[in-house]
Amino acid sequence: MEPWPPADDDALTAELSAALREAGPVPEDYLAAAWAAFAWRNVAAEIALAELVFDSACDAEPAGLTRSAGSARTLSFHSGAVVLEIEVTEAGIVGQLSPPEGGRVSAQTAAGTYDEAPVDEVGFFSLGVPPPGPVRLRAQANGYAVATTWVSLR
Amino acid sequence: MPPGGVDVTERSVASLVTAAAAGDESAWAELVRRYTPLVYSVIRSCGVNGADASDVNQTVWLRLVEHLGRVRDPQALAAWLATTTRRECYRLTRLGRRTQLVDPYDEALDTYHGFSRTADAAGPDEELLRAERRQALREGFAQLPPRCQELLSLLTADPPPSYREIAERLGVPIGSIGPTQARCLRRLRECPALAPFLTVSVTRPNGGDRDGAVAAGR
Repeated sequence: MEPWPPADDDALTAELSAALREAGPVPEDYLAAAWAAFAWRNVAAEIALAELVFDSACDAEPAGLTRSAGSARTLSFHSGAVVLEIEVTEAGIVGQLSPPEGGRVSAQTAAGTYDEAPVDEVGFFSLGVPPPGPVRLRAQANGYAVATTWVSLR
Repeated sequence: MPPGGVDVTERSVASLVTAAAAGDESAWAELVRRYTPLVYSVIRSCGVNGADASDVNQTVWLRLVEHLGRVRDPQALAAWLATTTRRECYRLTRLGRRTQLVDPYDEALDTYHGFSRTADAAGPDEELLRAERRQALREGFAQLPPRCQELLSLLTADPPPSYREIAERLGVPIGSIGPTQARCLRRLRECPALAPFLTVSVTRPNGGDRDGAVAAGR
């Protein structure tokens, strides 16, 4: 591999020139979306984050685990002992929150909450079809609260 | 520049991340200004377009917001953003909802990407590495002293003004431009932002005489 950064001053000046020129044309709506994301900082600071640990759309199925057949996409989010698993189909989202302690689950896009539903005694809940773009689920059980990481569900 | 303070564009990534995590909007705006070109160029390099590309961009920045308090090594922020962007591109291509998988060597794409790939058809990894290096250069540049930034901005303009014009604009002797350029480039090479991307050459470049060589060369 060529040494980098180039030892030659002209070569480095040319690379810097390309880098600075490239920085120009980020579309305005990309910048606007990036700025606006900051509005979610308080939520991020106040509530435990449930990380995405499995997504059937792009992760290999864990060995020995049998999931429901068909075209459903399954995702699993973990935050310590709290597990939130969802199945996304054309009919909407069905999910399970564990440990089951009742409460409610709300679904949000970057623009705000678009749906919410109660969690039953065994932890099940169902939500409407998610809009395109990044979505997060926020669960408020009786003993804990978590929010999932942002991810496009369809 | 605020009196007695440091211009936000000269602040280190570490201080910007810390300030943004504490709610400083100007620090967040500066992170956005510095890193949207990286995120954008990675998105373009992985062949995602249209609404999917916007969704990847939005997802990455929402992820950074939730990640702000957990950035362990702010110097690695560029690598984190690049990796996150690439992973989300992959997720959306696997969903296959709106994105058409594209042949990266399709010449019709050249217009879309705004540059020609036919000259050197680089693989995705090489593309990513180059995007990250260009980002490291922008970051390093952002941390140079204002005098260096001013001079290098003029020297990298298209077309670059003559040495005489530069000397007049900066109010310095013509003879000082070459040596100053060499000094500024050396600072750029030594900038921490470039450290993760350094490749060491087998024969050590002779860096000792550069000032004189460059001054004589122009």
